[in-house]
Amino acid sequence: MTDERTADDPVASTDGGTTVPTDSVDAVLDSLDGDGLSGYNYAYLDEHTKREVRRATLKAVAVPGHQVPYASRPMPLARGWGTGGIQASLSLLGPDETFKVVDQGADESVNAANIRRLAENTADVETTTDTTEAGVVQTRHRIPEEVLTDEQILVLQVPITDPLRKVDSSDAANRRRHAHKNYGKMWVHLYENVVEWGEINIASRYPTMVAERYLMDPSPIPRWDVPKLDDAENLYVFAAGREARIYAVPPHTDVEPLAFEDREFTVERFPDAACHACGSTDTYLVEVSEESESPQTTREEGGGEAADSSFETRYACNDSSFCEKRREDSDIPKDHHLDREGVDWGPGTPDNEEASSGGAGE
Amino acid sequence: MTLLDAEGLRTVYGDGCDRCLDATGDRAGTNQCPHCGSVVACAEADLTVRAGEVLGIVGESGSGKSSLAEQLALERDPDAETDGVVRYAGHEGNLLDVDYETRHDLRTGDIALVHQHIRDGLNPEFTGGGNVAEKLLSAGWRSFEDVRARVRELFEATEIPVDRMDDPTSTYSGGMQRRVQIARALANDPELVVLDEPTTGLDVSVQARVLDMFRRVQREKGVAAVVVSHDLGVVRLLADRTLVMRHGRVVESGLTDRVMEDPHHEYTQTLINSVI
Amino acid sequence: MGYVAVTAGEELIERAEELFEKQRTAGDGEDVAVEQIDEQLGRLTSQAMSEAGLYAPRLAALAVKQAQGDTVEAAFLLRAYRSTLERYDETEPIAPSEMVASRRVSPAFKDVPGGQILGPTKDYTQRLLDFDLLEGDAEDPTEEWDIEDAGDPEDLTNVMELLREEGLVAEPDEAGVEEPTDTTREPVTHPPERDAVLQELARGETGAVTALAYSALRGYGQVHPTLAEVRIGELPVRIEHPYTGDEVTVAHAEVSESEAVVPVYAKREDPQFAFGYGLTFGRNERKAIGMTILDASIQLDGEDEPAENPEFVLDTVDGMDSFGFIEHLKLPHYVTFQSILDRIRAIRERKGLNEDGRVSTEADDEDSERDSDDRTPAAEPPVAEVSDDD
Repeated sequence: MTDERTADDPVASTDGGTTVPTDSVDAVLDSLDGDGLSGYNYAYLDEHTKREVRRATLKAVAVPGHQVPYASRPMPLARGWGTGGIQASLSLLGPDETFKVVDQGADESVNAANIRRLAENTADVETTTDTTEAGVVQTRHRIPEEVLTDEQILVLQVPITDPLRKVDSSDAANRRRHAHKNYGKMWVHLYENVVEWGEINIASRYPTMVAERYLMDPSPIPRWDVPKLDDAENLYVFAAGREARIYAVPPHTDVEPLAFEDREFTVERFPDAACHACGSTDTYLVEVSEESESPQTTREEGGGEAADSSFETRYACNDSSFCEKRREDSDIPKDHHLDREGVDWGPGTPDNEEASSGGAGE
Repeated sequence: MTLLDAEGLRTVYGDGCDRCLDATGDRAGTNQCPHCGSVVACAEADLTVRAGEVLGIVGESGSGKSSLAEQLALERDPDAETDGVVRYAGHEGNLLDVDYETRHDLRTGDIALVHQHIRDGLNPEFTGGGNVAEKLLSAGWRSFEDVRARVRELFEATEIPVDRMDDPTSTYSGGMQRRVQIARALANDPELVVLDEPTTGLDVSVQARVLDMFRRVQREKGVAAVVVSHDLGVVRLLADRTLVMRHGRVVESGLTDRVMEDPHHEYTQTLINSVI
Repeated sequence: MGYVAVTAGEELIERAEELFEKQRTAGDGEDVAVEQIDEQLGRLTSQAMSEAGLYAPRLAALAVKQAQGDTVEAAFLLRAYRSTLERYDETEPIAPSEMVASRRVSPAFKDVPGGQILGPTKDYTQRLLDFDLLEGDAEDPTEEWDIEDAGDPEDLTNVMELLREEGLVAEPDEAGVEEPTDTTREPVTHPPERDAVLQELARGETGAVTALAYSALRGYGQVHPTLAEVRIGELPVRIEHPYTGDEVTVAHAEVSESEAVVPVYAKREDPQFAFGYGLTFGRNERKAIGMTILDASIQLDGEDEPAENPEFVLDTVDGMDSFGFIEHLKLPHYVTFQSILDRIRAIRERKGLNEDGRVSTEADDEDSERDSDDRTPAAEPPVAEVSDDD
């Protein structure tokens, strides 16, 4: 659209007569001239930083679920908007890599587009919206519906790194708890949850035990996605920019959501709902209220409510790129791209019927 | 059978010097070293606790009884310099030297402490039941219904109204909170419970009922206990044997009846006379 | 693709960016030159530099212009830019006594060695709008001043040094490390050392530093300091010459500095003042004093007062962090919200609540029966009991 953004850039016309004792500032201003990102290193971060992020990532892989501090750099994105994820991604990406970014399950979301644009501009990578084609997938709040393989890395953006923050705001105290695998307080939290609500009232960010050692915050993915962490083929990297921590779940690691034997972990239920676009009933759906096109009342019980009668709730696949595939071929399974069948990938896939039934046996 | 055997327990606050031990204690009439100013909270303390037995430790405040109790309960005060040996049936080596993990396991299972101050022992935001459940959950209980049943059982045993178990602990009365502490201490069937000043902050009538309850539960379960109190009455009621402490040293020990009827040490005599 | 709540491609983002830029350029006024911002809005650029932790007045002016005056956004632009720059060298430590002060007040004493220097300030003027500025004819009101050359500036003896010599001020513990930590390269872990605390405070958001410091004065803390020094001036920036090894001055940086004593005695037998220190880039006395109070508060290491808790202060004081996380709430959250909806619906179902929010009688009976043995009847909310139980 705007190829010549700099044509009327006032900086370009700034001449150098200043009170600043060196001319370095002008040199800097000159280097800013141009297409906006010339003068920046490949993949934005300097090599030293990328190496440090990779070191932290390796350490995280070596100690699954453990939060590794790293020197999170200020990024040209606001903190809380994926700065951890993009640092991890940029330190992993090379020019031959194919990169996919999803935000809330959608490639088209503005923030995903913004992150993708940064990677494209600075790291010169191919980008894709097809999960199966990507080498690195950066995501906020979702794990894709299509099974990831051992050639893929999923980078999850993390707002809050410590699951124990729910029960104690002190990081110093929580670090001690992790060091000693002392998770009694979290268990009491779950106990009190069941006492108060009859079941565990944790929606997303579900506390999850990794390799029977570290309690981990799996980032705000829905419970639906938590089973996909267990014994997966791919590497999961969790990166937080604001909190400057990286942690990981390497392939084939035991990952278990905390729950009682008799108050089991359950995933979100979508009773009788199907994606209105592709008809899927085995994917994570989100509901949208849309103005009803048909004049008749859509709710059976809500006849008396005039306000309701002009809206209807429709469900749609949250993973928009998989939804598109399903719309072309409604039968393709989540492991359609693999040479095996019946791969376990969370709710709606074989061996996971228990979780997907959504019932705690009551 | 000897459950716990302690030798030369010592707790010093301050830098300490060569002369600390000689310059403090019963004969010196102080627990503060005149040379370096360090406080020898307790020193040269030896004791044993047999399975199922109740040992009382009595003394005025500053006598060192709480420091001693803390060491027995494997509490660690980072400001204190400690020394000594605690041997415990079924465990190799000195309990004072074990790593955090072992210590945590011991304190979750075998040795329980009832803190003098309720705020040190209970989380007021949790429900009363949650405070007791924490011990079970820390010990690996994973069935919600089993935890509920066990908490209910412990509430009944310690005479707390079961219908209060899902209320926040902060809404409990002082006596109920003390009972919750005891229920919590007993949760994993420990072999030894250390009670530090169990009557602190309770009305006299409530004190008696809490102590009666503890004596009954202690006998029913056959759990050994160390009861620390400034109150001779508490020790007389609960303890089989008694240590008397003053200025950081044990000045007299023996069967509780003997100590009460026939005190040898002048200080013990004063203590008993002052009560009467 | 109407079902994605916020859908946009790169084109949309670029358009949004252009609309934002249009807000700046749409008016009738002339484009503001970066020099003008640098020279005329010094307090604005000071704040951006201070919160960015990057001393570069001209770049700060550019950032302020680009951010349309939002200081946190400007600081953010500077930080993001700084993080991409190669670090060539580290400067030598400078003693604050080397400062050439343009302003210096010492509220602790009526008169001090070197004297009180009021310097440029609006402290004692009436805050009245000056409608003459509407005319825009800049005039130097000091032009007519008749001053003789005062010679070289006097050396200012730091008031704190006088108090220290008398043994009235506690000496901080010797730092456990030789090199100060660098919190831009090493994340802060808790509990933090004082060098990390000071660095984080120096980069703290001005409003946050002020508010947290004010809380300590306002009664949520025990630090009510007496300021020994508030100074603004220039400090030399020195590096070691790569060939000769000599220290050479390569630039000067304007800073605001503040130091205070606090009448809180740590040791009874040797009562000494606690103290606090603040230093920040540019002209920003409020932040320097706020930092002083927070440094003093954190050294008290209390747990009950917000300003005394280093974790609380450092976790909330950074503008970049709070800016980003507060604003990230604007991002779509429909995945997690769907999950939250699932929980509340499941629990309402369990409690037998229908869609109108009323308990349906049938379900209620069933429910209370099932729950009767493991739930408190709790007809009334629990109240704290005054009398004892049994």
